[in-house]
Amino acid sequence: MNSPAKVLPPLPLPGLESRGFWEAAREGRFAIQRCADCRHWFHPPGVICTQCGSEKLVFETASGLGKVYSFSVMYDKRVRGFEQRVPYISVWVELDEQPLLIAVGNLVGVDPKDVRIGLPVEVFLEKLTDDVTLPQFRHRERPEVSGR
Amino acid sequence: MSAARSVRNKVAVVGVGYSDIERRSQRTAAALTRDALHAALTDAGITAADVDGLATYPESPVFGNPRQDGIDMVSCGLAARILGIGNRLRWFSDAEPLIPVAFVEAVNAVAAGACDYAVVYRAMHNPDQGGGYNAFTHEFASGKRQWMAPFGVHRGYQFYGQSYRRYMDLYGARPEHMATLIVNNRVNAAKNDKAYFRGQLVTREDYVNSRLLTDAVRLLDCDLPVDGAAALVLTSAERARDHARRAYVAGYGMYPWEPRTLGPAFDELWACGKALSDAAWASSGLKPADVGSLQLYDGYSYFVYWWLEALGFCAKGEAWQFIQDGRIALDGEAPVNTFGGQLAEGRMHGIGHFAEGARQAMGTAGARQIKNGKAALVGCGPLGLGSGVFLFTPEPV
Repeated sequence: MNSPAKVLPPLPLPGLESRGFWEAAREGRFAIQRCADCRHWFHPPGVICTQCGSEKLVFETASGLGKVYSFSVMYDKRVRGFEQRVPYISVWVELDEQPLLIAVGNLVGVDPKDVRIGLPVEVFLEKLTDDVTLPQFRHRERPEVSGR
Repeated sequence: MSAARSVRNKVAVVGVGYSDIERRSQRTAAALTRDALHAALTDAGITAADVDGLATYPESPVFGNPRQDGIDMVSCGLAARILGIGNRLRWFSDAEPLIPVAFVEAVNAVAAGACDYAVVYRAMHNPDQGGGYNAFTHEFASGKRQWMAPFGVHRGYQFYGQSYRRYMDLYGARPEHMATLIVNNRVNAAKNDKAYFRGQLVTREDYVNSRLLTDAVRLLDCDLPVDGAAALVLTSAERARDHARRAYVAGYGMYPWEPRTLGPAFDELWACGKALSDAAWASSGLKPADVGSLQLYDGYSYFVYWWLEALGFCAKGEAWQFIQDGRIALDGEAPVNTFGGQLAEGRMHGIGHFAEGARQAMGTAGARQIKNGKAALVGCGPLGLGSGVFLFTPEPV
């Protein structure tokens, strides 16, 4: 018997500013936009460096390490692609690279009652389709590993 | 700041009007807007022929903002035709990205003499199509949505709810504390004959036990989409003296600041509110002790906490304590959302807060009038993204 088709979430439709992020993920890397001049990190990516005005924005492989800045344990089923997944955890992760550099993902493998602010997490890549790979987060068992 | 200070005491609200507010009206946004415009003109004692300026925030509530004029929003052009003044309009603004910006523009237009009477209005529509109010139902997510929708985040209460989650964890706020605000709103709405939830009191237990949408947001933390419209008439202080009632614009603070962080992050959101609160105090020359009532945006309940803190009525992280012990009730020392807020009135998307702030300063708030003669403060919006703080006063400051 065939397993039921996987219900896909809404898929990211990259724009000029974000193509580098999603292409890197598809290639197996977690890359975050960075200014080549002043070295400031940006997420979500932008079209110009709002720190120094530079147009030289590149995508650099990041550590993938961070801490839960905040979270949402979702019970409402009115969310496309997630109707059958409640309760699920969405996390806002402050990446180790820079204060308030925040990425959103799902926290996978953690019970909703165990998620808390400050929980150390790490990125892993979830391949959804041939075109789309999502960076997701899981609990980091060894928080002392800084990755740098 | 000097530009904002220059409008101090130069402009006043002289009329406020509403249409009926219904969950889903059989009438169009255009018809409801006509009702609100004429109610405001009647309140001001003028006719459509006197109006030569219009401003609104013409957002469509259907996801993607398709803008079907007269159905899900009402443009200034259509409003002018509704009033029969299409060829006499001297100034208008279909302003972005939120209703406070339309007020800022109208105040400055009147102060500059670009028009004599500006009407600021907002038409709200609760769509039956496309999954409801601003519901994301697409297979693909572009723009800012691409960073959240693939992870199951595309409801407004999730974006700001995670900020509330952090606030609660950092500062010790609990649902039992928020219950005070929710109960107070419904008590106040009993004295607002336009409020959708008028006559529907709730208990603290009703709130705490209401459906959990996401940790820690309950159904009763969220406002209810409605059909309705409201309008305010602005004119120069000089002309205002010929009107029966007036609320002077003492000052305002406004930024088009869209938070850079996803969600957005609580700390950035709070900083946005602080910056424009500081601007409003500087522009008006007033301070919290000069304020007699506060209309604070409550599309989600938790915004009220952050407004109180950013405005300086209490310290950061203390608003959940500040609202207790009757302090924010009609007879308290800091009455909040005297009309019931949009949690009890319905989602008028901020214009309800402006209407009530102006009415409190005009002295036309009826059974809910705060009689301390102090300034009426409006903190409108989700702190960032086109939010604004306005101060209205019964007399020039």
